Amino acid sequence: MQKTFSRVATALLFLWMAAAVVFGAAADPDRLTRQANELMGQGDLAGAVEVLKQIPPPAGGGEGEAFVRSRLQIARLHFSLGEMDKALAAAREVLALYPDNSEAKNFVASVEQEGQPRYVTFLKDCIRFLPALAKGAVMTLLLVLCTIVISPIGGLLIALGRLSTFRPISAACWFVIWFFRGTPLLLQLFFIYYGLPSLGITLSPLTAAVIGLGVNYSAYLGEIIRGGIQSIEHGQMEAAKALGMTYGQAMRRVIIPQTYKRLMPPIGNEFIALIKDTALVSTIAMVELMRAADQLFNTYFNVTALVLAAIVYLVFTTVFTFIFEKIEYRAGIYEHR
Amino acid sequence: MNTDRQPLIQLEGIIKRYKNLTAVNGVNLAVYPGEKLVIIGPSGSGKSTLLRSMNFLEEIDAGVIRFEGREAGYVHRHGRLHLDRQQVVCPLRAEIGMVFQHFHLFPHMTVLGNVMEGPLTVQKKPVPEARAIAYDMLAKVGLSDKRDVFPATLSGGQKQRVAIARALAMRPKLMLFDEPTSALDPELVGEVFDTIHALADEGMTMIIVTHHMGFARELADRVIFMDGGVFVAEGTPQEIFDERMQNERIRTFLSRII
Ligand SMILES: Nc1ncnc2c1ncn2[C@@H]1O[C@H](COP(=O)(O)OP(=O)(O)OP(=O)(O)O)[C@@H](O)[C@H]1O
Ligand SMILES: [Mg+2]
Repeated sequence: MQKTFSRVATALLFLWMAAAVVFGAAADPDRLTRQANELMGQGDLAGAVEVLKQIPPPAGGGEGEAFVRSRLQIARLHFSLGEMDKALAAAREVLALYPDNSEAKNFVASVEQEGQPRYVTFLKDCIRFLPALAKGAVMTLLLVLCTIVISPIGGLLIALGRLSTFRPISAACWFVIWFFRGTPLLLQLFFIYYGLPSLGITLSPLTAAVIGLGVNYSAYLGEIIRGGIQSIEHGQMEAAKALGMTYGQAMRRVIIPQTYKRLMPPIGNEFIALIKDTALVSTIAMVELMRAADQLFNTYFNVTALVLAAIVYLVFTTVFTFIFEKIEYRAGIYEHR
Repeated sequence: MNTDRQPLIQLEGIIKRYKNLTAVNGVNLAVYPGEKLVIIGPSGSGKSTLLRSMNFLEEIDAGVIRFEGREAGYVHRHGRLHLDRQQVVCPLRAEIGMVFQHFHLFPHMTVLGNVMEGPLTVQKKPVPEARAIAYDMLAKVGLSDKRDVFPATLSGGQKQRVAIARALAMRPKLMLFDEPTSALDPELVGEVFDTIHALADEGMTMIIVTHHMGFARELADRVIFMDGGVFVAEGTPQEIFDERMQNERIRTFLSRII
């Protein structure tokens, strides 16, 4: 009984597969695409081109997504084989049917640039990529500034909490530091963006990114600020108290202002790291500088986008380093006179 | 002694322990307005601890501190003494000035800023008034020309005079000096002594811990010799220094120090 059933099942399965091969062979774009991908995987680019060519144009000008994708893929394959004319021909096949297809237009434009001097192509690329990259850079800057505003406040609260003699508060702050310094930022971002919705909290990518970066950097700064506060000589607190200051007054007027200079270098380091860490939020659907560069790269197969992104990051980090050195000098001005 | 008047500060049975060490072991003391009291004694005898407990910088384990006749600064909880809330303790401290061996000036504020800080932050005086007070106090300690510099540029003697001005700006009723000249180079001791002396002549009530016996003799109405957390001897400078109270411990201490 059992045996018969499994035999029948196997036969049916076999029949179904055979039918799929026979009837689908005619022009199943999915199958052809898979076959082409397989050939590409084996390094047979020319073979892949031949297979992709079997995908026909849409009959009667209908939905031609498979066709467009195949011709663009053919164009890229020719391009990487160095056959510029064939590459252009394939892209123009698309344009003939869909004159507005931006991917094909971009492809043609970038291939036609090949003949020009390198710096011209580079400059043209720069101008072409600038709007998208600028948008991304503004977003990156926004994330950095938000975190720079949030994390020192959060860090100070965490530091004061850690120094509190009230056990529940110091334990809670210890836990926050332990958790957020002990797990990857990437994981924290994933948790906030993808995990919290399951608890009924759905956040926009920007909110999730700001919260993730803010809390993570608050935890780091918390430890740094605590160290700074504890590094101030005990006599300062005594002198402040002897004047009649409350703990809060002593902290605000005497202790914390003295930590500024000492904290500026380590906090500056954190913020430099932050500029680069913002790239991680591209994983939670945020289009910032890294994501923008990545999208351009994937669309145009053009390294210029990445080079430009690197330059923007370097500009950011350099400017921040410079600003922090200035602030550090200012904060310690009483030691220079 | 003016027993008819009320003591400014009065200590009864003060005990302060650190783990297994008793730093102050049952001290009774009454200091009257205008009195200049000098406390001497070997290192580790509990002088600083006693002085700091008068300013509530140390939490005592037993005893009573009365300030102007009223029990001050502590509450009883679970059969133990606890420092009272900040709202109670801080105003008390504001009435008692303290000068430390190592000055503890606020390095991020100018000299003027240091002296204005108490009136400004603690007494919430408006800036012009605080500044006027600070100008007065800096004139008093002879440092008007140093108003706008940072403490880092001052000599030790100047730093200590600023610290005195900072404490005086609060118009304290009592001044506590904990070895105010011990961190100074010998040639700078004189200027600080002169400042304290001038203050004494104005009638300020003060308690001074010092190792400079000449100064103690010159300034003190009363000298207390402290050892092992208790008062071993108490008297006028003559009684302590000249007659040496016939006390073996004082004799050895003085012979080592002078
Ligand atoms: N925070 C502390 N923790 C533990 N022990 C302490 C502390 N402060 C002081 N002591 C101890 O209490 C004792 C009295 O110290 P205190 O500083 O009052 O002495 P002192 O008379 O001021 O000495 P010196 O002349 O060296 O300043 C010393 O044995 C000291 O080691
Ligand atoms: Mg001492």
